[in-house]
Formats: sequence, structure tokens, C-alpha cells
Amino acid sequence: MGDVLAFRDLTLGYDRHPAVHHLDGAVPEGALLAVCGPNGAGKSTLLKGIVGILPPLAGRIDSGVPAREIAYLPQAAEIDRSFPIDVFDLVSTGLWRRTRLFGGIGRADRVRIEAAIAAVGLAGFEARPIGTLSGGQMQRMLFARLLLQEARLILLDEPFTALDAGTVADLVALIERWNGEGRTVLAVLHDMELVAQHFPETLLLAREPVGWGATPEVLTPANLAEARRMCEAWDEGAAACAPAQGRAA
Amino acid sequence: MYDLLIAPFAEFDFMRRALVGVLALGLGAGPVGVLMMLRRMSLAGDAMAHAILPGAAVGFLAAGLNLWAMTAGGLIAGFAVALGAGAVARATQMKEDAALAAFYLVSLALGVLLVSLRGSNVDLLHVLFGTVLALDDATLLLIVAITTITLVVLAALWRPLVLESLDPGFLRSVSRAGAPTHLAFLALVVLNLVGGFHALGTLLAVGMMMLPAAAARFWTRELTALVALAVLIACGSGVLGLLVSYHSGAPSGPAIILVAGGAYALSVLFGSVGGLLPRLVPRRHLEA
Amino acid sequence: MLNRRSWLAALAAVAFAAPALAQDAPPAQKLPVVATFSILGDLVHQVGGDRVRVSTLVGPNGDAHVFQPSPADAKKIAGAKVVFVNGLGFEGWIDRLVKSSGTRAKIFVASKGVEPREMAEEEEDGHDHDNTAEAHGHDHGHDHGGTDPHAWQSVANAKLYVANIRDGLIAADPDGKATYDANAAAYTAKLDALDNEVKAAIVRIPADKRRIITSHDAFGYFGAAYGIEFIAPQGVSTEAEASAKDVAKIIRQIKAEHIPAVFMENISDPRLVKRIANETGAKIGGEVYSDALSDDKGPASTYIDMIENNIREFSSALSS
Repeated sequence: MGDVLAFRDLTLGYDRHPAVHHLDGAVPEGALLAVCGPNGAGKSTLLKGIVGILPPLAGRIDSGVPAREIAYLPQAAEIDRSFPIDVFDLVSTGLWRRTRLFGGIGRADRVRIEAAIAAVGLAGFEARPIGTLSGGQMQRMLFARLLLQEARLILLDEPFTALDAGTVADLVALIERWNGEGRTVLAVLHDMELVAQHFPETLLLAREPVGWGATPEVLTPANLAEARRMCEAWDEGAAACAPAQGRAA
Repeated sequence: MYDLLIAPFAEFDFMRRALVGVLALGLGAGPVGVLMMLRRMSLAGDAMAHAILPGAAVGFLAAGLNLWAMTAGGLIAGFAVALGAGAVARATQMKEDAALAAFYLVSLALGVLLVSLRGSNVDLLHVLFGTVLALDDATLLLIVAITTITLVVLAALWRPLVLESLDPGFLRSVSRAGAPTHLAFLALVVLNLVGGFHALGTLLAVGMMMLPAAAARFWTRELTALVALAVLIACGSGVLGLLVSYHSGAPSGPAIILVAGGAYALSVLFGSVGGLLPRLVPRRHLEA
Repeated sequence: MLNRRSWLAALAAVAFAAPALAQDAPPAQKLPVVATFSILGDLVHQVGGDRVRVSTLVGPNGDAHVFQPSPADAKKIAGAKVVFVNGLGFEGWIDRLVKSSGTRAKIFVASKGVEPREMAEEEEDGHDHDNTAEAHGHDHGHDHGGTDPHAWQSVANAKLYVANIRDGLIAADPDGKATYDANAAAYTAKLDALDNEVKAAIVRIPADKRRIITSHDAFGYFGAAYGIEFIAPQGVSTEAEASAKDVAKIIRQIKAEHIPAVFMENISDPRLVKRIANETGAKIGGEVYSDALSDDKGPASTYIDMIENNIREFSSALSS
């Protein structure tokens, strides 16, 4: 299997301040990778760079997967919750790739949509307006949409924030099912326990990569301490970064 | 009853034309108004009424008091403002309402400048705006054509339009249709507004877009029902308003809008979704 | 020595000198005068002749009801020695303009002494202001409160205007009294002829056809003076919006009484007039001028031309 993503001396940031600094590496297809690190470590920024929302300040990202095969769940969805639409219709937009502008939704599609809704534990909620959902139910609904997208690469930015244990367990099971189907999943997570239990690989990021590899080897106390030590806030007085300083990967 | 409701239309040609005009307007303005309301563009109509001035001024400078030249000019200016503001809002951090405000103010100032250059004191904006009682064949054709174009485009772009209003981030991630859809919608808004101004005056054109949509919101949470109800309220207000103007002598434009306003007030008070009075009446809660 | 011959010689000398005496010394500088609108400007020009330099604020084809003064207008007023206004509520914006210009000019109301008309009754219910577009800074400030300001449409009133203008100019420029008197007298004679011309034209129109629909009710004084009935679908001001009831009433009336003609005039929206004409089969008359003169290339570039144009158009529409 080839690499789904390759980072070459990647620097991403805002206003010339780097949030991801000189990242090198590759993500093979079928990987189940957790991205961890302290606040401000650049984790969300990395995902935004992969999706294409944020252009790199330096270096580049090579993607072995076309853009329409990437599914992205941002940290805080821009969804207008007062919009008059129900769960079924919102989840059905996950079929966009097949239906495009005009394609209809046939019987077979309806069945798939309902199955997706049931898979996330929201059976019976099809006709509910989205404004009446709780936070957890909202997140489940968005997972159902992701399900329908059938993407090769799935990017999740802090998908379990403020969710109860039961919901988290259900959604993690879904992620593992996806990975079992051969899909690559990158998830930004804070819960180290969860990462240790379910994610075989981890990238520990503190602007610069601290460790990248098998989870037990990366999430060591020493690494975690080093990550915390790295500066969180950006430095107004920083000088311009000299190129090609020959960093070790 | 016949005298009250049917006779005015049976007896007078101008009333029949006005009827066709308001029905066509309601059909086109209803859906556009709902989408505008959902996208928080409710005040854009008023801004647009001023934004078209430099276009009308150029038309006036070129061809005198020729209504078609001025309307065409107004249309071009309207497109420039709406599409410019839309493009800026998408490309930068600026939100759409601020971008539109910036563009329309500049446009208005430009228009005032152009008009004063000519030295004549004709109030262009006033001359540009028509009245529903004076619909000749060409103007009727214009309204019907605009409504037809609107319905066709909306039907074609309904899915991306809804998604773009609901979850623009998701649409951006799965399709490149977001920006063109957005701009097409803005173009539709301008078309409906400028055509409406030319045929029926600002009050009627903007009012028939926003009031029925606002009223319908209080009766349903479902998008298709919302659009249908808005169209119904718009057309109904048009017919009733014409009858009120006929029997009471009130000016036609304000009469129609006040009827629509009455529908809105009733909706605020009695609407089943979020209306004021139903909240005051205690009802037993459900089991689940 | 004061025999008859000397007396005759003296008389002759005086007789020869008299015309020279009747001419005032030409002014060192022309008197700067401002008239608020084109019709008034023409009248002032006729009386003032070469002694005055007239500028107008609302020019040809302009609409004084919705006029918005600019700083250039304030400058004109500030530099004037005399300002003539129509009065009767025609220029709602003039008081503020005069105050803000700080002028020390003498202000004269041309319509002083005119017997004012009230607006016709049927206008009251249809009378309303569409404020949507106007609300943002297009503040007209006009207020006619039911008085019809278009007094100049009656030639008899125009003669009063001329007299008031003459008196005003004399008060500001006493040296020019003789010129002003002579000019005013000559022009008034022309106005008398005009008045008779109009009356004669009316007589030629069959009595039962002397009714006209026009979109701007500015011909009240004309109608009252010469016996034509003017009916309007809107009120006096050009921004009033029509009601279905008023339009229906007029259509019914035209049909029932076979009113032959519908006229548009050079300011307001012609679409409503066309609609009424289409539905009733009435004839659409040519262009008539009520609140402003046409430009130099048009048929109504002076007051007399304007009246003649109007009566010509009325006659041809009503007589055919």
C-alpha cells in the first residue's frame, strides 16, 4: 500500500508564526493514527493543512488520495442549528459525491441513510429538526454523515469533546470499523487513555514533532514532559527562521 | 360577496393586470425571500434599492428618462454591488453584511455624484420605481419572465443552496459548487429586486420578499412547507391588498404590504412554532 | 422775451430730451437676481431686461417639489441682491436655504395678492407619500397643506406676478424704475393678448368636451380661469401614490362621460397615465408643461411659449 499522505519539511501557521514547524513524515494507507499534544501544538492546524483550508508557509503536503475521497470533521462545525432541516435530510447530504447537484435519492439510498443513522444510535430521530438535538446527538449525526461519505481518508478534529462515555464508546467502535474496511483515519485526541487503548500509532506534536510511531513508544512520560515544555504561546520577538537547518526527523 | 371580491377584477383591466402582477411576484419572491431570511440577508433589499442608483444615473445620462435604459443600468449596478460584496465576503474575513454595506454606500454616493453632474433635479430613484396599478404589457412580461427564471434556477440549484446556507464548510469540502451557487443566488436576488422596483416600486418588491417568509417561519419547521406557505401568504396579501386599496382608497403598494404585515403580526401572536400566545396557554407535556 | 416762439422752442427741446430722460443711465453693473424656478426666472428676465442678471435654482424640466439645494445654490443666493420665490408652499426648501446662505438679499413673493385655490376634493383620499426611497436623505421638506401653488397657470395671475416683480426690482434698484415700468407694461400687454388668445381657443372647443385627465394636478388655476375641468389620478405632489379606488373612479368617469383626452406632463411617471388611457380609449395628448419650462430646444422655453404650447395641445386633443 502506498502512502496516503506525505509531509515534506512542512510548516503551517498564521501571520508567519508557525503552528506546525518543519514536519517530515508519511502516513501509510490504512493507518489508524492519533495526533496528540498540548494546547496550541498545531494539531488542528495540521488537519486544516491536509484538507487544504490553510496553505503552507513552507514545505508541502503530498496527497495520494484525491480531494473528494477525504472526509473532514472540524472541531466546531459551522452548522446553523436554527435552519429548518431534519436529521434525515442533513445526513443525506453525505451522499453528495454520488448525487451531485441533481441526482435523486432512490429507495436503495434511503435504506443506506437509515442504516447510517441507526449505526450511530440515532434510530427514530430521522424526522427531528436538528435544532432540537443535544451536543452528543449532533456529533452522532455528523458521524452518520461521515459514514455515508465512504471516504478513503477520514480526518477527525477532537471528535469526542464533551461527549458521555457511552457515545464515545459507540463512535470509537465506528472508527475501528472504518479502519477495518481499509480506510485511513487521523484523529486529534486529548484522552491519552483512549489513544493507548484504540490507536496503534500516534504522532506527538508540540509544534515540532516529538515522536511518531507505535503508541506505547511515543506516549512515554519523558516525551510527554518534553512536549509540555515546548513554548505554547507564539513569540512576538521571534526572528525569521533560517531554512534547511538539517533537523533530525 | 361578488361585489366585494370578484367585481373589481371583472370590471377593470388594470385590476386584472395588477392581479397577475402580484401573483407572479408572490411566486418568485416567496422562495427567494425564505432563502434570504435563512441566510440573514433580510436587510439586503433596502440596501439594494440605493445601490442601483449609479446604474440608473448612467442610463439616464445616456438615454434620458428612458425607463428601460435606467432599469438596465440599475441591474448592472446591482449585480456589481451584490457580486462584489459576495466575492469579498468569501475571499476575506469580512462578513457579508459588512461587505454589502460598504459596497452599497459607495455605490449610492457615486450615483448621487453622477446625477448632480448632469445638473437636472429629476429625482431618478422616484422615477425608476413603478406602481402595481400601471402594468403595461412589457412590464407584465418582465415580471413573469423574472419569476420563471427564478423558479428554474432555484429548482436547479436547490440542493447546493440549502447546503451552503446550512453548513458551508461541509459543502466546501465535498464540492466546488459553493461559490458559483452563492453568486448565482445573489444574482437572482438582484434580478428580483430591480425588476420588482421597475414594475412595482421598492416597498412592494422588498416587502413581498421578506414579510411572507418571516410570517411563515412561525408555522412550520420544515423547509418545503416554509417556502409553500411563504408563497401562499405573498399571493394572498397581494390579492387582499388590491381589494383593500380598491374599496378603501388606500394607496395600493402600502395596502398590500400592510396586509402582509397583518399576516406577520398574527403569526407572531398565534403561530404554532414559537408564537407568543400558544406559550401562554399551558398544555400537558408528552410522555416522551 | 418769453414770447410764444421761445415757449415752443423750449417745449421742443424738452420733447426731444424726454426720451433721453426716460432712459435711465445704464447701470454700472447688472443687478444679481435669483429666481427659484424656470418659469419665474423667465418673468423676471422679461421685466428686468438688461439691468438684471437672473439665475434660477430649479432649471428647465426640473421638479421643484423634490428639489434638493446644493452648496452652489447657496452661493447663488448669497451673491444675489434680490430673490424671487413663488410662495404658496411651492418651495418647501427655500427658508432653510436662505437662512443657511446668510444672504442679505431682499426676498419677494411673486404670488402676493393672488387669490389662492384649495386642492380639489377628490385628491384627498388618494393622497399619500411613498417614503421608502425618500427616507434616506431625500428630504423634500415641501408642504402644500392643501393650497395649490401653481398660480402662474392663469395668465391673469401672471400679470400680478409681473407687477410684484416690477415692484420688487424697483425697491432694490430705484435707479431703474423707468426701465422696469416700461418693460413690465410692455410685457403685460403681451400677456393680455395671450389671455385673449387662450380664451378664444377655449371657445372653439365644444362645451361638453372641456375636460381633461392629467397626471399632475397643477392646472387648477388654468382650469378655473378658462373653464376647463382638470381631473388627476394623483394629488398635487409628484410623489403621491395612487390607490386602486382612485384609478377605478377615474376610469369609470372617463368612460361614463366620454372624456376625450389624457395628458402627461414633463415631470412625473407616465406609465399610470398610459394605463388609464389604454383602458378607456381616451386619446393621449401631447406634452404639456406645468411646473417648469422646457429647455431652449423645446416648445416651451418661455412663459408665453409654455401657455401657447399647452393650449395648443389641449385644443387639438379635445377638438378632434
